[in-house]
Amino acid sequence: MAAIIEVERLTKNYGDKRGIAEVSFQVEEGEVFGFLGPNGAGKTTTIRVLMALLRADAGSARIAGLDCWKQSLEIKRLIGYIPGEPALDPNLTGGQILEYFAHLRGGVDQSYLKQLIQRFDLDTSRKFRQYSTGNKRKVVLIQAFMHRPRLLILDEPTSGLDPLNQQEFDRMIKEARDEGRTVFLSSHILSEVEKICTRVGIIRDGSLVRIGDVAEVKAIKRYEITITFATAIPAETFKTLDGVVEVETLNDGHGVRLAMQGPADSVIKAAAHYPVVSLTSYEPSLEDIFLRYYEADDARDKEAHDVA
Amino acid sequence: MWLSSVFLKTLRDYRVAILGWGIGMGLVVVSPMAGVGMLLTTPQAREELISLAATFAWNADVVAVDTIGGYATFKIGIFIFLIAVWPLLAGSRMLRGEEDRGSLDVLLSLPRPRLRVALEKLAAMWSALFAMGLLIGLLAYGGGWKFGGDFGLGDALLFGLNLALICAVIGGVALLISQFTQEQGPAAGWTAGLLLVFIVLDMVHRVIPNSEWISRFSPIYYYNLSKPLVPSHGANIGAMLVLLALALVLSGAAVWLFARRDVGGTVPLPRWLRLPERRTNRALPVGDWSLRSVYARSLGMIAVPAFWWTLGIAGFATWMVVVVQQMEARLSELLSSSPTMINLIKNMGSGDASLTAGFLSAMFVLLPLFLMAFAVTQVNHWSADEQDGRLELVLATPQRRLWVLLGRFAALGTATILISVITLLASAGAAAATGLHLDPGNLAAATLGMIPLGLLIAAIGYLASGWLRTAADTGLLSFVLAIWFFVSFIGPELKLPDATLRLSAFYYYGTPLLHGLQLTSVLGVVAVTALALSLGALRFIHKDIGV
Repeated sequence: MAAIIEVERLTKNYGDKRGIAEVSFQVEEGEVFGFLGPNGAGKTTTIRVLMALLRADAGSARIAGLDCWKQSLEIKRLIGYIPGEPALDPNLTGGQILEYFAHLRGGVDQSYLKQLIQRFDLDTSRKFRQYSTGNKRKVVLIQAFMHRPRLLILDEPTSGLDPLNQQEFDRMIKEARDEGRTVFLSSHILSEVEKICTRVGIIRDGSLVRIGDVAEVKAIKRYEITITFATAIPAETFKTLDGVVEVETLNDGHGVRLAMQGPADSVIKAAAHYPVVSLTSYEPSLEDIFLRYYEADDARDKEAHDVA
Repeated sequence: MWLSSVFLKTLRDYRVAILGWGIGMGLVVVSPMAGVGMLLTTPQAREELISLAATFAWNADVVAVDTIGGYATFKIGIFIFLIAVWPLLAGSRMLRGEEDRGSLDVLLSLPRPRLRVALEKLAAMWSALFAMGLLIGLLAYGGGWKFGGDFGLGDALLFGLNLALICAVIGGVALLISQFTQEQGPAAGWTAGLLLVFIVLDMVHRVIPNSEWISRFSPIYYYNLSKPLVPSHGANIGAMLVLLALALVLSGAAVWLFARRDVGGTVPLPRWLRLPERRTNRALPVGDWSLRSVYARSLGMIAVPAFWWTLGIAGFATWMVVVVQQMEARLSELLSSSPTMINLIKNMGSGDASLTAGFLSAMFVLLPLFLMAFAVTQVNHWSADEQDGRLELVLATPQRRLWVLLGRFAALGTATILISVITLLASAGAAAATGLHLDPGNLAAATLGMIPLGLLIAAIGYLASGWLRTAADTGLLSFVLAIWFFVSFIGPELKLPDATLRLSAFYYYGTPLLHGLQLTSVLGVVAVTALALSLGALRFIHKDIGV
């Protein structure tokens, strides 16, 4: 398959502030690509360069073989876009906003637009300012999908959506993929990317640190289990178990916090030998995961630098 | 320290308004004091001034207008609407505005009673009003001292207090109404409408004999009962207490209702007053003309403000045409004894025409100033749209940046043309109705000639918005307007060199009501406008959006 997005050594700085540095990746036509990174990593900057809202300082970005800056008009005919912080005229109703953008796109299939409104159960007669956060997000989602774009560029599209509408969104992404359309989706939620993407790129501190199959994400995914016991227990019991990466003793031995990777079966079986008061599982934020996952890399780099 | 309580934080938010509005309104009070000295040179001139003021008795009480304090009190009668703008906005925004933004949810999540939060905010607004009143009082005292007023510091401070009290009443009305509206805009709109009604009610007893009982329903009436800048009249403590009581009752009722209603909701109205229940609607406004392009949408956005500005500008021009003939004789006698005023009118109007024609021409010179002020407000919207991210999705559609910018500019251009044409028609109609002879060509030149100036300031604003954020852009344009006005109308008195006078856009407007349009001047303005717009467009095409 041909690449629909080609980014080569893309660099953007905001004066003294860091933007992105020499980011390179490709997205194949028809795939759902997840662009993963903690807040402030450079996801939105990359997307805004692709959308020709920012001009790159160096490097190149091409969509469907067209230069993102010089041929932005042709590119925007192909794209449906959701910005990270969508802002629309607060005095227009949802219906007016959708009609306005339909006109700016040179017209859309009205029956398909009505279908989308129906699917998201949107009341189009309310002013944008009167909508809840979730309904505002629905308006923005519909405007991105309503012209059946060849490429969807979505910057954290599900923030603010309730679980039901998130499911509807997931279905629409799957439909888009089944129809051969491409989705470029940024997120800081691991499980979301894991669920709907085929490939991921991970960006951190303005640089792309990893790109590959979604299994790569699973490899770095960790979760925590905190177990409280009625009596003090030996923490060593858990250290050698499958899936346990780290063990921290709590409350003078009356509890443990385990960093996990993989199935928790052995932990549950081991804990069952002691009087358990409570057991909670928690998926840490991407920032926490990255901090732990990459701090080892940083330490290694520092060590190598010191030796040199 | 300023972030240690809701009261101090709110007061901190008002700090710019306290200084800006306090000093600005103080200068509004002082400016007639500066002007009246020129008019009071002879006993005859005093009589003429009193007689001329009597013509406008419907507007304000004519009490000792031949004194500095009396004249200032009389003149600012009409400005009460202007002075009430801040409390009107602050009152409607105090609770409802924060609910709109969602910031009140966070504040009310703190372990602090809702009533206390509302009272602290109210206390901050009142403190701000009294601080403004203090500044206005001090400036009024300074003005009186400088221009020979016969009132003391205590009188001036009472004057400021009286203003603060009427502002607290208006703020209280806005605060109370905002408990019944879902957004702050309608609350401000309803309060502005009520303020207009209050002003008219107050006027009734000056126009219709034995109708004082009607005027007593207006808080403005009680405000006008006090005239502290006129020592022979003084402050009416009873009236001031009525204002204080009104402010307390209105604000108290608003806070009481706020403490009992849903945050984000409104006070429930009786069933017969409620609008019918809304049903979920999934229809699309397919035939709406204003959604067909960036230009059409921009025109839709500008329509309502353009309507009000048209009303103001065309209304001002019409009013000037109507009154200039009525006060022709008195004006002539009055001005003949005041060489300074004659010079001022010559600077603004014309050096060689009759005083009446010169006066009308001078007043018409204010029209482009108003139109340019309108243009500044629209440039502010353009700049704010980019800053707030509202251009992002528009620019994600296949629309050229150039056309997006030109669409907005063209809508502004259309509005300025409409305002000018309606002003032309209204003043021509007024002239025909009153029998005032005005050269049709010159009248067209005076009204339509302001279009290039409106577009010039807009183009400069679009250019500056390529680098500046909204507040800085609007501030710069306002400063440019003020400087141009100063250079053109005070500059000749200060013997500024011709090269400096040519820096003002008003120089190129000239005196079209008397001498018609100077084509080369107009072409010059159009050329500078085109250049500024081209540079602005070039910058917009190449810039990072929202950075």
